[in-house]
Order: sequence, then C-alpha cells, then structure tokens
Amino acid sequence: MKVRSGGASLTGVCDYVAAAASASGFDDRTSHACQLAVFEAVENIFQHGYRGDGGEIHLTAQSAPGALTVEIVDRAPAFDPTRYPVDPSASLREAQVGGRGLLMIRRVMDDISYERRGRQNILRLTKNRSFTGV
Amino acid sequence: METQTQVYPRVTVVSVKGRVDSTSAGDLEAALKKLLDDGKSNLVLDLSGVEFLSSSGLRVLVTTLKAVRKTGGDLRLAQPSQRASDAIDLAGLDVLFKTYGDREAAVASF
Repeated sequence: MKVRSGGASLTGVCDYVAAAASASGFDDRTSHACQLAVFEAVENIFQHGYRGDGGEIHLTAQSAPGALTVEIVDRAPAFDPTRYPVDPSASLREAQVGGRGLLMIRRVMDDISYERRGRQNILRLTKNRSFTGV
Repeated sequence: METQTQVYPRVTVVSVKGRVDSTSAGDLEAALKKLLDDGKSNLVLDLSGVEFLSSSGLRVLVTTLKAVRKTGGDLRLAQPSQRASDAIDLAGLDVLFKTYGDREAAVASF
C-alpha cells in the first residue's frame, strides 16, 4: 500500500498490518504489537526522514503461517534504524520519549534489516513468534 | 479519540477512549493542559478504553507527568487496556507510572 502523511492514511497502516497478521495466524495481541511497530516506523520516516514535509512510503506485507514480514520503502535521506543507539532505561528527568518508537520496534520484531538501494531506504520487519509481553 | 473528565474533591479522572496517536495526541495534550491550568494536579488517567497508544501519545503522558510532579501532584494510571499496557511496557515507560487495576483504587491512592 502507498502511505502519505495524514490521519486516515496512518490508520490505514494499522488496518493493512492487521489483515496481514491475521493471514499469518497471529493472535490479537501479536497483531497489535506488529501494528504498533510498523506504525512507529512509518511515523519516524514522516517526522524525521521527510521532516514533516510530506513524502510517500510504500508498504508490502508478506504473510506465511506463523510469520509476517513488512517491507517499508521510502525516499528520505539514508537512515539505518538498526544502527541507531537506543537507551531502554527511563528516568523522569531524562525521559524525552525520543527514540521510544525505535525501542518499541526492536522489542516487538524478531528480525529487522535495513538496506540503502539507490535513493531508497528499505526496512524489513519480521515477526515469527507470538508476542507475549516485554 | 474521546476523553471524559470527572472531578472529585482531590482528584480528577480523565477517561480516554479510542486511538491515541500523532493525529489525536494534540487533543489529549490540550485537555490535560487545561486541567493543569485550572490547578488540578492530582490526575488519574483511565486507559481502559484505549485501543491504540503510539509513542506520540506516550509523549503526552510523560510531559504531563513531569508537569504535575513539578507542582506536587501526580499522574496515575487506572486499568489500562492490554494494548495500552503493552505500548507502555514496550516503550520502557512502565517504571515511571503508578498503575492501578481499577479507577477507585487509583483515586483512593491520592
């Protein structure tokens, strides 16, 4: 699916991932975790990649029994989220919630890969186990 | 997203329903800021009706927590839905909030 920044389109991301997670046979909790991870990845691209200046993202989901892979492709400047440092600890003094989206993605997904191909960022998020909590 | 506010003598309870993401977080932030401006700094957020909570929504919770603590108050969570609870845990923010299984217990905690 094609995603542009804006409310309805972002809700559509969750619907798209929910349908794919259902096709993979995942339960509601795992489906929700996948929706959250993909949503955070998409939001990060719009906010930090395209810097709130529009842009377009392509999502492709592949479902197999017990496995879901979502490929996220954008044309923002190169950014490898697998190499970005994330601090899982939180104190009220320091908590800015920045980087929390990346932490959520890493905690939900079982495999994350990134590739820069030409002018495209290609992020693949794979879930192949049920989510039962942090 | 919808919010409903109930004011008790020492505590104000805000029930949040629906999706709290980048498109609705601003509305939640405005509703909570208005309570703060009115001098209400003991807050309970009833998250039982939350269907989706992204990092944008979590940012509002943390910002509000910081603001109420500065004035000697607190923001406590009541009966978060499984989805809200998972989002808070995944973001590693569960350690920041006092969370209660029902809203009566959250209100009584103040």
